[in-house]
Amino acid sequence: MSIEKKIDVDLSSFNLDAIKRAAYRCSNRFAFDMVIAAQTASCTLIFDDDKSSDFVELAISVFRKELLDQDLRQSIRAETENVRNVILAHAFSLTGLLKDEPVQGD
Amino acid sequence: MLALSGKFEELRGLPEGSPRELLRVTTNRDTPKVLARAAAYLCDTADVPSGFRVYLALEHNRRHLDEISGKAPTAVLPASASFLRDGDIIRLSPRNASYRVLFRVHSNHNGLLLTERCNHYCLMCSQPPRDVNDDWVMDDVERLIPMLPITTRQLGFTGGEPTLHGERFVDLLALTKRLLPRTAIHVLSNGRRFADTRFVEGYAAIQHPDLMVGIPLYSDDPVRHNYVVQADNAFDETIRGILNLKRLKQRVELRVVLHRQTIDRLPKLAEYIGRNLLFVDQVALMGLEITGFTRGNLEKLWIDPYDYRSTLESAVDILAGYRVPTAVYNHQLCVVTDRVRPFCVQSISDWKNEYLPVCATCDLRAQCGGFFSSGVRYRHSDHIRPVVTT
Amino acid sequence: MSRFKAIEEYEAPRADAYRLLPFRFTALDDSSYVLTNIAGEHLVLSNESLRALVRHNLPRGSPEFVELRARHFLQDSVDSVAVDLLALKLRTRYRRLPEFTALHIFVVTLRCEHSCPYCQVSRQTEDVAAFDMTPETADKALDFVFRSPAAAIKIEFQGGEPLLNFGLIRYVVEQAEKRNASEKRDLRFVIATNLALATREILSFCAAHSIDISTSLDGPEDLHNKNRPRPGRNSHQKAVEGIQLAREIVGRERVSALMTTTSKSLDRVRDIIDEYLRLEFPGIFLRPLSPYGFAVKTNAIAAYTTARWLEFYKEGLEYILHLNQVGVRFREFYASVILKKMLTSDESGFVDLVSPAGIGIKALVYNYDGAVYASDESRMLAEMGDYTFRLGSLETDSYEDVMLSDRLLDPIEESMTTSVPMCNECAFEPFCGADPVFHHTAYGDVVGRKPESAFCARNMAIFRYLIAKMRDDSGARRLFLNWANQ
Repeated sequence: MSIEKKIDVDLSSFNLDAIKRAAYRCSNRFAFDMVIAAQTASCTLIFDDDKSSDFVELAISVFRKELLDQDLRQSIRAETENVRNVILAHAFSLTGLLKDEPVQGD
Repeated sequence: MLALSGKFEELRGLPEGSPRELLRVTTNRDTPKVLARAAAYLCDTADVPSGFRVYLALEHNRRHLDEISGKAPTAVLPASASFLRDGDIIRLSPRNASYRVLFRVHSNHNGLLLTERCNHYCLMCSQPPRDVNDDWVMDDVERLIPMLPITTRQLGFTGGEPTLHGERFVDLLALTKRLLPRTAIHVLSNGRRFADTRFVEGYAAIQHPDLMVGIPLYSDDPVRHNYVVQADNAFDETIRGILNLKRLKQRVELRVVLHRQTIDRLPKLAEYIGRNLLFVDQVALMGLEITGFTRGNLEKLWIDPYDYRSTLESAVDILAGYRVPTAVYNHQLCVVTDRVRPFCVQSISDWKNEYLPVCATCDLRAQCGGFFSSGVRYRHSDHIRPVVTT
Repeated sequence: MSRFKAIEEYEAPRADAYRLLPFRFTALDDSSYVLTNIAGEHLVLSNESLRALVRHNLPRGSPEFVELRARHFLQDSVDSVAVDLLALKLRTRYRRLPEFTALHIFVVTLRCEHSCPYCQVSRQTEDVAAFDMTPETADKALDFVFRSPAAAIKIEFQGGEPLLNFGLIRYVVEQAEKRNASEKRDLRFVIATNLALATREILSFCAAHSIDISTSLDGPEDLHNKNRPRPGRNSHQKAVEGIQLAREIVGRERVSALMTTTSKSLDRVRDIIDEYLRLEFPGIFLRPLSPYGFAVKTNAIAAYTTARWLEFYKEGLEYILHLNQVGVRFREFYASVILKKMLTSDESGFVDLVSPAGIGIKALVYNYDGAVYASDESRMLAEMGDYTFRLGSLETDSYEDVMLSDRLLDPIEESMTTSVPMCNECAFEPFCGADPVFHHTAYGDVVGRKPESAFCARNMAIFRYLIAKMRDDSGARRLFLNWANQ
């Protein structure tokens, strides 16, 4: 037997990637199931039946918080993708060999 | 404080239109004639040897010039020039009957001013910039270098901003390396010209055996740094200049003048250096000198060093934590904390160190650099007190 | 003077929006987050400020704004050099990657006269031939050693009790030095030994060849002897005598000690530290409980163990902080490894907390029988019957066979923290590492599911603890900065 809690997530607020990542982070607290219909993801959080109601409430609030955080992370990723590539390209470029660069600590 | 320049009390035998001259000062009456022809003899007795280019005497010795007057140019120096010694080099300007001592044999820190022009306008500038054509200054320096003793330990190149002379500055460094191969050179520069790859490569190509450039960095916050130096883009170009210099393995010192506009973020700057500029050779934290623009901006700048002693300690702790060689200049030992004292260096200037009456009983007086005379005169900490080490 | 402009005139124009630079964030506590930029530098920000930052609502000129710009989390038009500095710092962080496999472990024998309950590898036997490494095997191992491109190479002798095959140690040292005459690496040696069998002659040899000694010291006598039984029940006494003799003959700074943490250690952290203090060691490595050799646990027991160990660790660290406050210089080495990553662009060479994982590319293990393992733990796993990380054999395989094998490269690639779920977005990723061997052992795959991983839980707790400590205690911050730069 298990405890099931249903949460509907509006897909115009959070995309699927955010929901999956949030669920993954909570995978030590509950198992996760999801059904998509139109603009809504119907999520089912499945708890072991020996979990207290405090545990369940906390897990749900962690999940919601995590959704917000994932949304924020996506904004950051989208905005910084280009400059991230520029930085990585500079960092690993072959012009100016490693040993010519002023290295911290040398 | 030494007055390196001034006006002659009296100048004879060199009309106003005569050109400037650089002369070695001597008190050696047995100077061979061939050398005496280009030297200035400093008289302190009546019996004056002949054959010198110019004869000098301090005010109280002016009667000694009577004998030679009319046969050779003579000049009377004010009492403030009493520091002049055999071997020093003086520039004589007949146009306004003035002189400047360019080189002192007994100084550990001869600084040569290369220009008064600058692309910064620092709130606390001790050498306020003048936008004048000063190629002639470089002419004089280029004539001065060959006259310097090869035993000179260290030479400073300052300004204004020396790199405004561009290639001519680099050439001067190369000339100095050839003529004074064992003399250490310390350049003061805002570092921005070194952001130019060709310029910095030319600088590095000199391969000078003992060359360091001291570059001011006043904050980890670009806005604050640019504000203190009163120039847009200063921070960016300065950092780029530093990176280029280190890329080419040139020695770099970071200098921070401590005052109310720079002290708050000093620990953050220390962390910034530790994270981003760990490869610099040393950091100099400097007390404020009340000269130049500082006096006019005193209200913005002044903070009693005693009041910032724990901020200074935090910054020094951080730099020491990152193992960056660090020195504190121009702070009296009684206004810094115990942990900072080992980092204090007695003032780099060998100008007469001045002390307050209250310092007479201080146990640390011998190690303490004391005060700039401008500090004694205008502003110093309210917390100067003798330290008792029992 | 009117010719001087006010500071506001040096700010970016109001119309200029600021741009985010790449960063990650993870909760520190209920009200704040840890942010790390692409170079691994961290900053703590409140929940509200983080949201304002990302939504571009952070007020220009506010202290947080100035801080975020100076620390390379955002950029505006007054600063164009942030990208160059971030690239430089990143490059610095990775500069040692090409110098792979600096550590080579020679298991010279499995024989040992101790019978420690937690040990998986030793054999109580006189059968030398069965369990000792031969010179022929050692020669082949040395071939591998010098194939490594690292400028600095360390050869470590382990066992069993390596001094039981001292003849081979002598052989390897002499052969390695001979080869190094032309290789010109910075070559160092260390012997991991219980010192019970260390004679003056052996120690003199170590002194002559600058060999470091790493010994076991689990704590005060009662704890140490309970952990490490030997005939005569005098392991502690032997260890202490050995330490003193080794210091005298080989040199004080060449002798170090490592503890093994067992469930018996968990209540005794202050006693253990006191024992290290008493014996004048400069610091201690408070090691995690080893999962190897313990029966696979249920999640509940694993969680309890992690929590209990964290209490042990924090109590130990608090005690060490207190010691430093009262003027006793003493360091914790695991924290030092992490702090170096947090506060500098350098790394300490500690093989167990890096990504890409240290297996093979930071260390290789040559077993007495010629088998080549990816790490010490890989060898222990094999003793338990699991050969997943046995990379090959010196008898049959070439260096390329071993180093380019899928057995080695797949786990490294698959476990890289920059690409696995949860780690790739974790703010603590720059401080952490991949441990494919642990995750394979505990969870059956090299990545594991991080929400369940004891490795993850333990390390995140330590990262949070250290960051909060630095935020709240300036004395600790100063001390940690010193540890990070040693």
